[in-house]
Order: sequence, then structure tokens, then C-alpha cells
Amino acid sequence: MKNIRVSICTGTACFVMGASEIMMLEDSIPEDLQGRMNLEIEGVSCLEKCTNHNRQKAPFVLINDNLLENATLAGVIDALRTIVEEE
Amino acid sequence: MQFFKGFSSGNETFIEVAHHQVSKYKQGAEGDIFLSQKNNKDGRIITALSDGLGSGIKAGVLATLTATMAIKFVASDIPIKRAAEIIMNTLPVCKERGISYATFTLVDIEPNARVKVIEYDNPPYILIRKQTFVEPIKEFTTIERKNIKTGPKKEAIIHYSHYEARPGDRLVFFSDGVTQSGMGSPHFPFGWGYNNVQSFILDIVGRKPDISARDLTREVVNQALLNDAYKAKDDITCGIIFSREPRDLLVITGPPLYPERDADLVRSFLNFEGKKIISGGTTANIVSRETGKKVHVNLKNLDPKIPPESEMEGADLVTEGIITMAAVAEILEKNTKQDLSCRNAAEKMVELFLNSDRIVFLVGTKINDAHQDPQHAC
Repeated sequence: MKNIRVSICTGTACFVMGASEIMMLEDSIPEDLQGRMNLEIEGVSCLEKCTNHNRQKAPFVLINDNLLENATLAGVIDALRTIVEEE
Repeated sequence: MQFFKGFSSGNETFIEVAHHQVSKYKQGAEGDIFLSQKNNKDGRIITALSDGLGSGIKAGVLATLTATMAIKFVASDIPIKRAAEIIMNTLPVCKERGISYATFTLVDIEPNARVKVIEYDNPPYILIRKQTFVEPIKEFTTIERKNIKTGPKKEAIIHYSHYEARPGDRLVFFSDGVTQSGMGSPHFPFGWGYNNVQSFILDIVGRKPDISARDLTREVVNQALLNDAYKAKDDITCGIIFSREPRDLLVITGPPLYPERDADLVRSFLNFEGKKIISGGTTANIVSRETGKKVHVNLKNLDPKIPPESEMEGADLVTEGIITMAAVAEILEKNTKQDLSCRNAAEKMVELFLNSDRIVFLVGTKINDAHQDPQHAC
């Protein structure tokens, strides 16, 4: 089983752009993924990615050091599935 | 609730005046009135609690008239005996009962810490000093009523007492809705009773020596309400005047304009004596970076409108910035009397605000790039 660490930015910009929904990730893991990974979910007060002017968009989620921009709950779950099914 | 700075000399003593009340079951209006004002000219703090005959609007009118007149008379230095006479002879007469009546407790605190208390028919006040009762000597005066026909038959006796307040003193006074709560119940067939109220308060103060006036009034009123099985049989009001050292709170929000001042910000934060709030993700990161303490965001009990709170060693509360602050301002402006449930970060911040006497805001003036229009970002 893979260890996956998800860090959700809870800063202002991310929160208003939809991070509040992503924070419910723990209760939203689909059945087919349950038990197939060691998932650790944490909140981060600010990832400080929103001030970057490379037109990156909030909300930001860090999945095992890979930055997911413009993240959604479904997008994060898809990313988790990709990692799990990579094996 | 009001906070006043008292005792004009250099020592730092604050006088916290707080009250809490619930109205009689199914009554929308309170029949007990609590008023408090600080006289800016001479620094006196004058507080009145009045319980009008009956309940609801009628009682509220009687009590409001009594409390307002009492405060105005005392503020204008009209002798209290004369003031009591005027009040008693002015109150309107209840149509049903044919009498005019409202009780009062009047507390006048001078800047030199001299406290004068005048009581008429409310339960006697309780003075707690160093976790024990102190009973100042009371003088009795009988007031003659002009309106003998419409006044109650028993004599009107005014109790007058005075003492020098010391830091730590708590002056507790309440309406008879407190002492008579639970009347008729198997547990308290004759009501909670003055002695039981005394022991209850002393017990809380013994267990929580630093409890604020605001919290203590809530404990007393909630217990009385519990005695009445949450259907108050009368208006229940408790007022407390607490003289104590001021409680300080620091709120830091926003990063400094120049990053080289980050260390100054964190130094001020660390050196502050009192409770501390960090509001803002970047600000929290700065403190975390400089102190080496990690920020843990709490993702349990999420609120869809308010970003979650975090924990950091050395801070009493860590929150997001602008959304939380806006929610705090909204709660404070609404001036809701209801108890806060303290579910989200904003409510927790309000709770900390209300339990502090001096709040220092350290505001960083850096403009958040993320909030600027990306087309015009500099």
C-alpha cells in the first residue's frame, strides 16, 4: 500500500475558491479506494502559492509533493486513484 | 456587558460590569432591567438592577423607569433617600393589582474605589473577597409613601451600605427570580433560597478563582433556569461587578510591509503577556518559521462558511484572516445576547475578545498579492 499525504491549503484565497469542500476529503473517499492506501490528510494554514504570478489558481492541494492547482474534491480523488492504480 | 477602567490611580484595576438574564417562560420582554453607565465627568460607575411588578412589558416599563431614574438621580448627586421617594411616588399603578411597585439595587462606584449600595426589596447583594463572604454594615431607612392607597401595605425599607473596593472583589446581585427558582419542585419546595445561591457562587469562585463576571452571571442564571426546568417562573437576572487586574489579548494579523520586520513582529508576539491570537495564514507561517513551532490545522468539525482553526504552541488561537475577521465583526455588531456555541474559529475569537479587557491589534500592512487583479498584478 502506498503512503499518500494530502495537504490542503486553508488560506483565504483557497477557502473562497472551494477548499472548504476539499476539506471533506476524508469522508468522501469512494469505496473502491478505501483500504488501498495509507492516506494522511492535513490542513495547511497557507501554502503561499496564490501569490505566484504564473497564473496559477487557487485552491491548491499538495499530494505527495505534487502541487494540484485549481483543485476540486473530485480532482483530488482522481489524483489519488491515479496514484493507487499506478502499481 | 460593559467594561470600565476604574480606580484612577496608577494601579491597574479594571471594573468589569456584566449581567445575564432570561425572561419568564413565554414572555418576550424582560421584566427585570439592568442598566450600567460610566459618568465620564467624574469617572463614577453607576449600575442599577430593577425588578418590576409582574412580568412582561408592564414589569419592563416599571423596572425601566425605576432603573433609569435611579441612575440619573445618583449621577446628579440627588440624595438617595429623596430619589427613592420620588421613584416610589412616580411609578404608574398596575390596573389589576392596584399597586405600583418595582424593586431596585443601585451600586455607585467612585474612582477612589469607594462603593455605595442602595437596596430596596431585591435579595441582598453578596460581596465576595478572597473567596469568602464579606458583609458590610447596612443602615436601614424607612421611606414614607405619598401614594398610600396604591403602594404596597408593608413599609418601604431602604438598605444603605458602603465599603472600599479591593482588587479581586466581586459584588453579586440578582432578582428574586434567582432565589425563588425551582419553587414547588421536589428538590426546592420553597425555591433555591438565598443561602443556596451563596454557597453555589462561593463554590464556583473556589473552583475557578479567575472566572469573569460575564461567565459567573451565566453560571448563576443557568442554574436558576435549570431549577425551573428550563421554564423560568419569573424573570431571572444576575449582575456582577468584578474589580480585577485587566486581562490582555494580542491579535496579530497580516505580514509586515517589509519582510525584514518579520522578526520584530514575532518578538512582539513572544514578549506579550496575555492571550494571543494569530489571524491569517501567512502571518501564522511567519510565526511558525521564526519560532520553529508547527501549525496544525484542525480539520474536524468543519464549518462551511468559516475556515478551520489551527493550533500552535504559544498561541491561544490561530485562524484564517479576512473571512474570519469579517465574521467576528458581524457577530459583535449583531450584539446577540445568545450564548455562543464556539463551534467555529470566528465564535472562538469573539469569546476571547469578550473575555478580555484590553485588546492590542498588531496589523501588518503588506498587501496580499493573491487578492489583487492578476491582470494588473505588480
